[in-house]
Amino acid sequence: MQTSIHNRHFLLRRLHSLFGLLPVGGFLIFHLWENSQSRFGQTHYNEQVVGWLQGINYLILVEIFFIALPLLFHAAYGLVILHGSQGNWNRYPWLHNRFYWLQRLSGIGILLFLLFHVGWTRILGIWQPEIRIDLFSHMQELLINPYLFLLYLSGLLLAVFHLCNGLWTMAISWGLTTSVEAQRIWFYFCMLLALLLGALGLHGMLGFLP
Amino acid sequence: MANTIELDIRRQDTPYSPPYWQRFSIPHRRGHNIVSALMVIREHPFTQEGKRVDPVAWEFNCMEEVCGACSMMINGRPRQACSTLVDSLEQPIRLEPLSKFPVVRDLMVDRSKIFNDLKRVRAWIEIDGAWDIHQGAPRISPVAWKENYLYSRCMSCGCCLEACPEYATEKDFVGPAALAAVRLMNSHPTGRYHRRQRLHAIMGDDGLSNCGNAQNCVRVCPKQIPLTTAIGELGRQTSLQLLRDLFGESE
Repeated sequence: MQTSIHNRHFLLRRLHSLFGLLPVGGFLIFHLWENSQSRFGQTHYNEQVVGWLQGINYLILVEIFFIALPLLFHAAYGLVILHGSQGNWNRYPWLHNRFYWLQRLSGIGILLFLLFHVGWTRILGIWQPEIRIDLFSHMQELLINPYLFLLYLSGLLLAVFHLCNGLWTMAISWGLTTSVEAQRIWFYFCMLLALLLGALGLHGMLGFLP
Repeated sequence: MANTIELDIRRQDTPYSPPYWQRFSIPHRRGHNIVSALMVIREHPFTQEGKRVDPVAWEFNCMEEVCGACSMMINGRPRQACSTLVDSLEQPIRLEPLSKFPVVRDLMVDRSKIFNDLKRVRAWIEIDGAWDIHQGAPRISPVAWKENYLYSRCMSCGCCLEACPEYATEKDFVGPAALAAVRLMNSHPTGRYHRRQRLHAIMGDDGLSNCGNAQNCVRVCPKQIPLTTAIGELGRQTSLQLLRDLFGESE
């Protein structure tokens, strides 16, 4: 019998939706909270935050299977979904139509930002151990440049928006919110979460500045 | 109040010929709607410059917003020509055919894709047969009846599909109209026996999960059908169906 579990399309879409929240979205929240500890200074950050993370058991497997692969799948399948949209940003000037487009644009923006962000920290750190040992100074060097600070700020805001708006649409796709009222309340919650996460991320970025 | 009504109409002579624009000017009369204005042009098919042209082709039927035939783009929005009053519009009024369906001629489009989508999702109810089964009509609670009634008003006009960014001529997304029909048929006391087949149909390629939640559909629907609620409810029904497919039926 042909059922939903034999249909790749439905499963891929649901997997894409799920991965956006877990583990990718969960990692983003953890990442922002973790880096907000930059305000405690260089020694604390390098030893307690980065040092603790680097001591995690099976770290490389966790990084590959819980962060990199789900993120790559989410990004690659996101690009597939992007293909063939036929809409009009201006013709229908309503909030959720605008957010529909922002969700897609931010996805591309985040992908480009992550290439730089991950490349310049985690990947570069493989060959340059001094980055791993003193990540605080490395980040300070980056963020002290106003252009790179703006780049990081836009990457942060795009990622936070993408997660929180994704959380809102996910609730409809999985059938958590059905009524207009429930969707509205959940929307307020998601936007509040976006504000909080944005503030948390910005706090972390400011903590690196001297 | 202006003495004339100015209309810019997108014309197209055949399905394959290029479109062009023509401006028409008709005497103002209170209470004109788009259909009655187009009828005036049909009686006197002259452009504003006085050139005699072929009368504008368009579809209409019921004149009371229940048949869905006269959908067109009016000042950039998909609406019913019969229920759109001229006095409520900015002039010149721009009339275009719906863009997500193939143009037959002028403002007339071929909306048979909607009917195919309804067939794809099994948007009908199978009756037991024409013989007497010695049972009364199945009972429906007043609450369920009230909710179902909202969805039963769909007239397949295509406005929601026109506004949907995921619905496109070259893509096969089933679209909000057929999804709302699944929501309606699944809650019908006889229709619910084919609930699983309908859910599997919308869980297939280009089904429910293509929805991008732009929610334009619910805003342009001339019948105020809660399309996004239907999509949320189907999200829940398909989530539960996925569990049944993965782990087996519970009943």
